[in-house]
Amino acid sequence: MSALLLPALVLGPLAAGAVAAVVPRERGRVRAAVGLTTAALTALACAVVVGGVATAPGHEVRVALAGWEPPLGIVLRADAASAALLVLTTLVGVAVSVTVAVRDDAGGGPAFWPLWLGLWAALHGVYVTQDLFNAYVLLELVTVGAVSLVALGKGRSAGPALRYLFVAVVGSLLFLLAIALVYAEAGTLDMSAAAGRVAPGPLLTAALALTLVGMGAKMALFPLHSWLPVAHPAAPAAVSAVLSALVVKAALVVLWRFWVALAPAAGGAAHVLAVASGVAGSAAVLWGGLMALRQRRLKRIVAYSTVTQVGYLALVLPLMAPGGEAARAAWSGGLLLVVAHGLAKAAMFLAAGVLTAAYGSDHLEDLRGAMRHRPWVVAALGVAGVSLAGLPPTLGFAAKWQLLAAGVESGQWWWVAALLAGGLLTVGYTAVVLRAVSAPADAGEQAPEPPPAAVPTVQAAVPLALAVAAVVLSVLAGGLAGLVADTAPRGLA
Amino acid sequence: MSPASVLDVVLAAAVLAVALVAVLLPSRRGAVSAFLVLGVVLAVLWARLDAPDIALAEAALGSGVAGALLMDTLTADPARPGRRAGRTAVVVGLLAGAVALAALTVVVRAVPDEPSLLPAAVAEEIHGAGADHAVTAVLLNFRSLDTLLEAAVLVFAAAGAGALVRTPVRAPDPVPAPVTALARVLLPALVLLGTWLLLAGTSRPGGAFQAGAMFAGALVVAFVAGARFAASQGTAARAWTVAGVLAFVALAAGTAMLGQGWLVLDPRWAGAAVLTVETVLAVSIGVGLAQVFVANSEARRVPS
Amino acid sequence: MTRLELLLALGCAVLVVGLVAHLLARDLVRRVVALNVASAGVMIVLLVLATRGTEPDPVAQALVLTGIVIMAAITGLALALVRRVEAPEDEEAP
Repeated sequence: MSALLLPALVLGPLAAGAVAAVVPRERGRVRAAVGLTTAALTALACAVVVGGVATAPGHEVRVALAGWEPPLGIVLRADAASAALLVLTTLVGVAVSVTVAVRDDAGGGPAFWPLWLGLWAALHGVYVTQDLFNAYVLLELVTVGAVSLVALGKGRSAGPALRYLFVAVVGSLLFLLAIALVYAEAGTLDMSAAAGRVAPGPLLTAALALTLVGMGAKMALFPLHSWLPVAHPAAPAAVSAVLSALVVKAALVVLWRFWVALAPAAGGAAHVLAVASGVAGSAAVLWGGLMALRQRRLKRIVAYSTVTQVGYLALVLPLMAPGGEAARAAWSGGLLLVVAHGLAKAAMFLAAGVLTAAYGSDHLEDLRGAMRHRPWVVAALGVAGVSLAGLPPTLGFAAKWQLLAAGVESGQWWWVAALLAGGLLTVGYTAVVLRAVSAPADAGEQAPEPPPAAVPTVQAAVPLALAVAAVVLSVLAGGLAGLVADTAPRGLA
Repeated sequence: MSPASVLDVVLAAAVLAVALVAVLLPSRRGAVSAFLVLGVVLAVLWARLDAPDIALAEAALGSGVAGALLMDTLTADPARPGRRAGRTAVVVGLLAGAVALAALTVVVRAVPDEPSLLPAAVAEEIHGAGADHAVTAVLLNFRSLDTLLEAAVLVFAAAGAGALVRTPVRAPDPVPAPVTALARVLLPALVLLGTWLLLAGTSRPGGAFQAGAMFAGALVVAFVAGARFAASQGTAARAWTVAGVLAFVALAAGTAMLGQGWLVLDPRWAGAAVLTVETVLAVSIGVGLAQVFVANSEARRVPS
Repeated sequence: MTRLELLLALGCAVLVVGLVAHLLARDLVRRVVALNVASAGVMIVLLVLATRGTEPDPVAQALVLTGIVIMAAITGLALALVRRVEAPEDEEAP
């Protein structure tokens, strides 16, 4: 059953997006209905597939499309890592769909639905594809959907969208060259088949370097990050949440899969590149944190926080490099962190969207009094901030604990220092936000502010639900991490 | 492999020279014109590399549709003086480019001169794949998921571009008489050529992509000539744009429900399935590309 | 120098020329053109790889066909965004 449904996770939302595109724009309610129905069905199918992964022998569900096995055909394969990503995407996807269905504005109008459903399908595909070129096509679909969604933002959003498109396409071209180089040597496009057919040498080293830079650009890894703090805040609120929580992870997942499959064959060169990734990641953690502290607008703070978190995720490559137990801890810690960050960041951007809608601005000065008028929204910001900083009892804590363990185990204490410094900076900018919103509304010489505009209760509850999910899931973190670690790809052994 | 012949060297030099001209010319008009020339030179290179399918697609898509798109951008705003990058940026960029190129040149010398696993695998399985032409068999059967997703990229690019249009679309008006006359000749020719490419694609170079590009060209010609149907962004146009993806998904779901597995084509009816999907796909690609063009055309036509 | 080496180097050169020009250009249409040049470079590499062996590799050729259509779609979206960026200020306002 789960093998039957695995391709449906990609083709279902894709077809629904195509259908939504045909519905006239004036029929916004119909488009929303298509979107909500798809969200519900997708969640159901995800549950079946995740259940299949949990119960299947070897914890994987595998489908050879069109009946052709590699090297000829394309294989979709869901493992424990895919399952974790599917759970994250379902939670965020349903939350975002409900938010936009309740208030059209949060998604930027009726054009949101087809683009979002197409993007959702592409994300699912990225999590499960085993084929390098298929991953390239899926990433382009992600890019087209994400860029078009950014352009739905109010004001001058076309500029940031175009800048994002340029960076993403350059990243794709570098990745496509990397694919060509792997294909030149291995003679196949299947990732696991290619792993056994490559040897250390300039081709493999160049392919790894091109993938690192290409995906680094797509996921805004320092110093290729400057487009993100412009593009993410320019998008409609619900789109910002999808971009930060899910879209940057698509490039990250491709990088990790590529690395885990092919880096072990590359020997010392892969190690050097992993250290480069770690240095860039550490710089991202510090730079993103410092910049977040300096911002005065809520959405910009949250966007710079994403730069920081991408930095953490780049640290996973050097932490995996020594292999063995530490590598498995780094792999599972990294995946937990992706889930934790995704939930927290979606909660933050959706909360920022509610506050912006209520106060007509996301300047910290304008949000004074929000603690009293919108306590649940502020609570979502606070809980999400705690998870981002990696404090107990949240999923963020469980994830960072795994990464710290991996760093200590393999004696790479310098990456541990970056992890800890990043945590402190996160506490710092979360505190800045909380202090601003808890300031009394009538502070200063200004007259008391007008009461904030009404926002549907459902919309205000969604961010809190996501933030709470990050706490609830921490209970399951041990089991989940164990499962992911036990089923870690063979390359890590 | 054989040593490089004089023809190879000349062709390589021509491609590089035109590429350099395309990026170095400071004006938009110059850059776009040089890019169109690059398309022609590349088509010659593709033919020399035994890739007639790509040569056809390049001629139709690369320079045809992309060229029409870019040309339309020029008519929108022909004289926009290009700002220049700072001196430091230029020096750093050129140095980085030189280092990258040197490194890549060393890297590609390590490419083994032996075929990949796939040509043999394709040759072995092509009987019953639904198309005798290997490239078509790969696109519509062995790697059909890629093709489905690529059609989806076009659908959502058209949706994204369409969302940027905020004024109703109208065909240009009035149209000069020579344009209408030319369109009367070009339109049927392009439709015929597209249809032939579509039907030929099962056994020789050609197929949904090349045919779709021809159909897109026909629609763009019709649009420029003032035909109202070509300017439509209505429900019918959007339905045709997504029809290819939906037909493909329907085929996939059908095969899955019949118990054969997702996209598994039975050799008994694979040929019919491939041709059907290709036909819908070709029309979709044509309408989709034309929709992107119309969206572009309209994004400029700002009522003042 | 063999034909393989020459044409692979050509593909890399066209890619690098396109990328450097894309990063240095300020005019948005020229940046889109440069991106298309860079893409042509990658396509050259893939098609040259397809010429190894006696018969051309249909899979590599199929990948290039897919890549060309994707690039055309992305070019269309990019140009629509360029139009929107360069549209008069008043039209951009919500």
